[in-house]
Amino acid sequence: MIFMTLTIYSRDLLVIGNQDFPENNLTIQEIRAIFLDKKRFIQEEKILVMNYAFQDPLRQCFEKNILEKRERTLERYWRRAYYFGKRPPKIVSSVEMLFSYLQRVHPSIGYCDSNVIENRKVRILYRIGCDF
Amino acid sequence: MYKNIYYILLISSGTLFANEESSYGWNLPDTSINVGGYLDMTYDTKREESFLFNDIAVLFSANKNRFDLLAEIELSHISLDGKSNSSSDIDLHLERLQLNYTLNDKQSIEIGRFNSDIGYWNQAPIPILQETTSRPHIVGNFFPKLITGILFRQSINEHNTFSITFQDNMDIAHQERFIQVNRHKTFSYFGTYGDFSWRFSAGKYRDSRNKNVIYRGIGSEYEGEKLSFQVELFRQNSDKKHEKPYSGYLQSTWHFKDKQDAVIRFEKYKDNEIEIEEQIYLFGYTYRPTNNTVLKAEYIYHTKLPLNHYLYSFSVLF
Repeated sequence: MIFMTLTIYSRDLLVIGNQDFPENNLTIQEIRAIFLDKKRFIQEEKILVMNYAFQDPLRQCFEKNILEKRERTLERYWRRAYYFGKRPPKIVSSVEMLFSYLQRVHPSIGYCDSNVIENRKVRILYRIGCDF
Repeated sequence: MYKNIYYILLISSGTLFANEESSYGWNLPDTSINVGGYLDMTYDTKREESFLFNDIAVLFSANKNRFDLLAEIELSHISLDGKSNSSSDIDLHLERLQLNYTLNDKQSIEIGRFNSDIGYWNQAPIPILQETTSRPHIVGNFFPKLITGILFRQSINEHNTFSITFQDNMDIAHQERFIQVNRHKTFSYFGTYGDFSWRFSAGKYRDSRNKNVIYRGIGSEYEGEKLSFQVELFRQNSDKKHEKPYSGYLQSTWHFKDKQDAVIRFEKYKDNEIEIEEQIYLFGYTYRPTNNTVLKAEYIYHTKLPLNHYLYSFSVLF
């Protein structure tokens, strides 16, 4: 049973913020709004939002389970958003880069595999299961 | 001619391989300033200047705290057949200049010259953002494409938004081909549910000839894995002579391969001003080699007007 629980958690995707992120947790609607540039401030402070490259399996899981949008739909969304002056989340090339930004920029938000969270000074804002 | 093609390839080559959405534009280091743009080239079998640079636009955006600035400067109508032989043929103008202030997560205000928040097509009025190069009859005939005024947007919840716009002044830039107005009020509602969305828009404007016009329209969109649909229907009332009783279209896109789409559009409209009621059929093919480039080919058939033609285009967002 313990083994099973660990296995399930090891496949979780965690939405994480910097250690003193102003909220203790976020709803899936709030996360969607933040990652689609519809909610940009939290307690009067602008949020740095981070994402991974297109091919990253974590991103595919995030888009399917949290944003609930297809890749084609998101590509179209950001092309159109760019025309209106909006910018997509900052692309980070690795989890290390994500943690580095989370440490330096407040408030900031991203997501990672639950396996890499140990001993990291971050705040877990949302957890969802993923098939990596 | 070859020189022109060389320049086109040179401009385009740097952008052809940009696959990440964040690679659009150029970000001034350590600032929020971004400079980018788009270009559209078309080859139209019906037009006198068959090979044309329709638009080369520069987009400038910046933000500071809750303020967002967006400017678009457009250079249009550059013939690549060598027929734009004087500067009067080429049109350089300010397309958009807007300042947005985010009041909170649900409310924002916009002032300046911006796209009217009316209908689906007008929210993405350039070819790189659409599945076809040609526009439906509604665009440019039923409501002004742009507004010089103030807009208030309210998000009711994650799925429902409305906006109200006011204009009570002349346009700050010229609007060739489109409706010129000096007063305009609009209301627009937008809702979503999963892969479906819908819109309702209504407005009243007074044009430069002091003619009062009322319009309203509905539309819906479905974005599926293999198929997408978009439908819009508008009605415009003014005096009987100039009335446009209806104009509507149904566009279906079949995503038959990764990056390749087939498009069919059926349109029908009645326009008392030019005394015509006709149907337009469009058959098109779209290929997006990268996220920010698109090649399109389409055939447009009119049942009444002698405007049947083939249209080919190449567009880049950079």
